[in-house]
Amino acid sequence: MAVRLETDVLVIGGGIAGAFAAYRAREAGARVLLVDRSYFGRSGCSALASGVYPAYMPGDDKDAWMRAFGGPLVNQPLVAKSLPVMHEHVLLMDRWGVNWVKEGRKIVRMGAPGRSFANGVWMAEGGPQMMMAVRSGVVGSGVEVLNRVALTELLTSDGRLPTAGRVVGAAGFHTRTGEIHEIAAKATVVCTGPYKFPYPWPGSTLGYMPIDLSGDGIAMMMRAGAELSRLELGGINLNPDNALSAPGLESLMPSGAKWVDQDGRRFLEDYDPKRMEMTQRALLYFAIAHQKELGRVPSMDLREVSPERMQLIRRVIPIVVNNQEAMVGDLTEKPVPYTYQVAGTSGIFGAGARVTERGETTVPGLYAAGTCTDMTYLPGGNLPFCSVTGDWTGRAVGAAVESVEPPQPPAQQVERVTAQILEPLQRRDGVAFEPVHRRLGEMLMEKVGLVLHADRLDAALAELRDIREHEVPLLVAHNPHELAKVWGLTQYLQVLEATLRAYRYRTESRVAFIREDYPVIDNVNWVKMVVVKQQNGALRLWDEPLPESWHDPHPVRPTQNLHLVFRNQEAPHAAR
Amino acid sequence: MPRVEVNEQACTGCGVCVDTCPTDVLRLDPQEKAFAAYPADCQGCFVCQWDCAYGAIRVVVNG
Repeated sequence: MAVRLETDVLVIGGGIAGAFAAYRAREAGARVLLVDRSYFGRSGCSALASGVYPAYMPGDDKDAWMRAFGGPLVNQPLVAKSLPVMHEHVLLMDRWGVNWVKEGRKIVRMGAPGRSFANGVWMAEGGPQMMMAVRSGVVGSGVEVLNRVALTELLTSDGRLPTAGRVVGAAGFHTRTGEIHEIAAKATVVCTGPYKFPYPWPGSTLGYMPIDLSGDGIAMMMRAGAELSRLELGGINLNPDNALSAPGLESLMPSGAKWVDQDGRRFLEDYDPKRMEMTQRALLYFAIAHQKELGRVPSMDLREVSPERMQLIRRVIPIVVNNQEAMVGDLTEKPVPYTYQVAGTSGIFGAGARVTERGETTVPGLYAAGTCTDMTYLPGGNLPFCSVTGDWTGRAVGAAVESVEPPQPPAQQVERVTAQILEPLQRRDGVAFEPVHRRLGEMLMEKVGLVLHADRLDAALAELRDIREHEVPLLVAHNPHELAKVWGLTQYLQVLEATLRAYRYRTESRVAFIREDYPVIDNVNWVKMVVVKQQNGALRLWDEPLPESWHDPHPVRPTQNLHLVFRNQEAPHAAR
Repeated sequence: MPRVEVNEQACTGCGVCVDTCPTDVLRLDPQEKAFAAYPADCQGCFVCQWDCAYGAIRVVVNG
């Protein structure tokens, strides 16, 4: 028997964006159901956050904030508008019981790399405590929660994907019981976060397929006809070596951590001798990646971090420290090669559905917030920009549903989707999940990697097509748990194809998006968005200039013109 | 590969870890003790260890 539910607002995903979207929609008077594939407060990135919520406080220099989160591809007016909301959120979360680091009763802030000012509010018990407190606040407001339900397809008024009508809910299954869930909603808000493929690579603690973080929400929105953007810039976590995946930098760098190579040399001298570890993030990422490319071993040296500060860091980023120490021993004894792929997902740039600041996608009835959208493309500010975009989306949705008639998902579509969901359980002979997963991981390591090239991307796309055509339709699941993995992989492959196509489309390098065949940051031709849309069963890509209203009031930062020197031994250009 | 170790004497069978594991690795066995039913899916995130009020779970990342 299928479980049929009906609500005003369906929020898919229980990270910080989903939490704030649900809270604000409920506050506006809507009935809200938050569905999480895992457990609200434990799934995705937010609970594994790197312990820092960068937040504006009244009296801050707004220009300094704009410079810190600037860059030619960022929607500057949107950043300016979000600043006071961050402050509001810190106080709201404080009331919910989030344990911020304080001096007496005052919330204090710490410095962070690339910022000329202290802006980070630290979590005294890390991301896990923050999200459980947020969960309590949201549940206490009357939001209904459904855990362990993986929604796999959006339902539409015309029963078609892509739709010419509107989104009227979603369908999926319980990952333990296998029960089909059909949820009718006046508005659906996707907050499923980013996507990331953890590699079974040496030194990594991760050898699993994300049951979390498979990009399922983005895949669903794409099939429903939503336009996506920034996939090429946000999907950087596909790169196993990418320093952007290095969690904890926000708190470690301002605490006196040093980057050294295997000979103990502080290699940032070659890149930004003035600011060293407190350099801009983009340059820090580049330097680390570049050192790896040169065959060096970038390592973190925590020997000069004071014992008091180290004690605090152990509380603020418990997961990062636990993981690192489990692998290499006491972090304060000697420099240790930094492992990027510890659990945790810092450094994600938003990529996914194109949304307005009200969270509207290009499909009626479908909203999105957080890192599964293009609105949060802001290095080092994921958490606040997720909570802020969730907030705005929740308010907008809460108001919008007042005038929407109760939806009726077409029975035929529900029937079709149900059959599709259950197919892997009914196959007797077919392909097991593990070898397909492994093949994909190896392909990504070999053909995508850290430094991209058109030839390798083409080879990757060809192999991806082969996997999608010949293996995915045969994937077998023996129980609902395996079904969740099969669906995670299936959705991931669709987002991956869109992402690789977007990688191929942008013929320049920028921040952590590095192309060997186009190694120059090209602010003349590429201050643009690449848009991806599924049409007639195929992906269509085009580029668009940034809207006039986004224009950066600040000059382009020096590092934006950095000429990348990968694959040769030239001295790196220092940022000046 | 990360691994979950449960101290059966300390485990009270409260099931919090079963509720909260992000990748749904854990279940309670017939004796009401937590165990890794899907060990291959452990992502080494330490959430179970963090959430266990009885110190009964340890995540072993290396070895």
